[in-house]
Amino acid sequence: MKEWTIRILLVAALAALGIWGWRTLHPDPEQVIRRQLQEMAKAASFTAEQGLAAQAWYASSLPEFLALDIEVTLRVPGVPATLSGRDEVMQLLTVSRRVCRSLRLRLPDLKISLAPDRTMAEVYATGEADVTYASGEKASFLQELRLRLVKVKQGWIVQQVETVKTLT
Amino acid sequence: MATSNEAKTAPGWGQRALIGRHPRRTLVRIILLAITSLILFRYVLLPVRVSGGSMLPTYKENGVNFVNRLAYLFHEPRRGDVVAVRLLAGAHRLYLKRIVGLPGETVAFHHGRLLINGQPLAEPYVKFPCDWNQNPVPVGPDQYYLVGDNRDNPREGHEQGRAARALIIGKVLL
Repeated sequence: MKEWTIRILLVAALAALGIWGWRTLHPDPEQVIRRQLQEMAKAASFTAEQGLAAQAWYASSLPEFLALDIEVTLRVPGVPATLSGRDEVMQLLTVSRRVCRSLRLRLPDLKISLAPDRTMAEVYATGEADVTYASGEKASFLQELRLRLVKVKQGWIVQQVETVKTLT
Repeated sequence: MATSNEAKTAPGWGQRALIGRHPRRTLVRIILLAITSLILFRYVLLPVRVSGGSMLPTYKENGVNFVNRLAYLFHEPRRGDVVAVRLLAGAHRLYLKRIVGLPGETVAFHHGRLLINGQPLAEPYVKFPCDWNQNPVPVGPDQYYLVGDNRDNPREGHEQGRAARALIIGKVLL
């Protein structure tokens, strides 16, 4: 009886290890997108306590999440309505580092739909930003976003971002 | 000798206070309580913390409340109900708004007065007057028109409008 129990436990452990290995080698695209977008939000965030080197290091990873021809259409007070291309997005982030003491971006909700050929994805995201301006004034923004991502060799990149609204 | 063994096995007062005389029964009670709480606070009464001032003075910032998810099990939402609306991406953040327009109606603002089908609606809950103007907006057959009680900011800066019935997850309890 004891021997059988040990055998069953061993088989179960091997099966679990196999599933884990398979998932590690063939990650689910939704999980990859989720992880990448959270990393992107983290890379765009910065705090007053971070040194310039740390800020630059985090920011340096940002371009790899964005398509060269990215189109951004936002409805946020104080932010340009449209941004075209990765350079403009990076420029806006550089300016935001100058006028803000800290910026914390979060994506508490992500709803991901993959295209049938799994090379494109549409993502609905709830974006939250807590900003502390250079004057010390604080503000919070909530934006509902629709992102279009395309699959490239090294993962997924954001090609389009636009504000969407639940209340129309 | 026997007395000494009994003293060793009998639970002390601290242990009794923490896990009771019958640890197994206590464990069962803890598990039942955890399951009941999980079901209650996830599917029946959803706890929420108010963020922002769009529902002032009815609901103050950082106030805690509950959303009754079973409120619309037997009837549809009614005018005047304060409801929680989930966003397009998910339900970790919700809008708390008041229903002012029902399916099939038109909603307009004229110098701050809310008009339903062209007729002014009495709104005793609005304490901060506004000067909003908005042309009549038709509310679809499966939609409700929602707006916050605090109109003390420009209309463009106030999240308000039509929401699909499916996005209304319940009625605010208190």
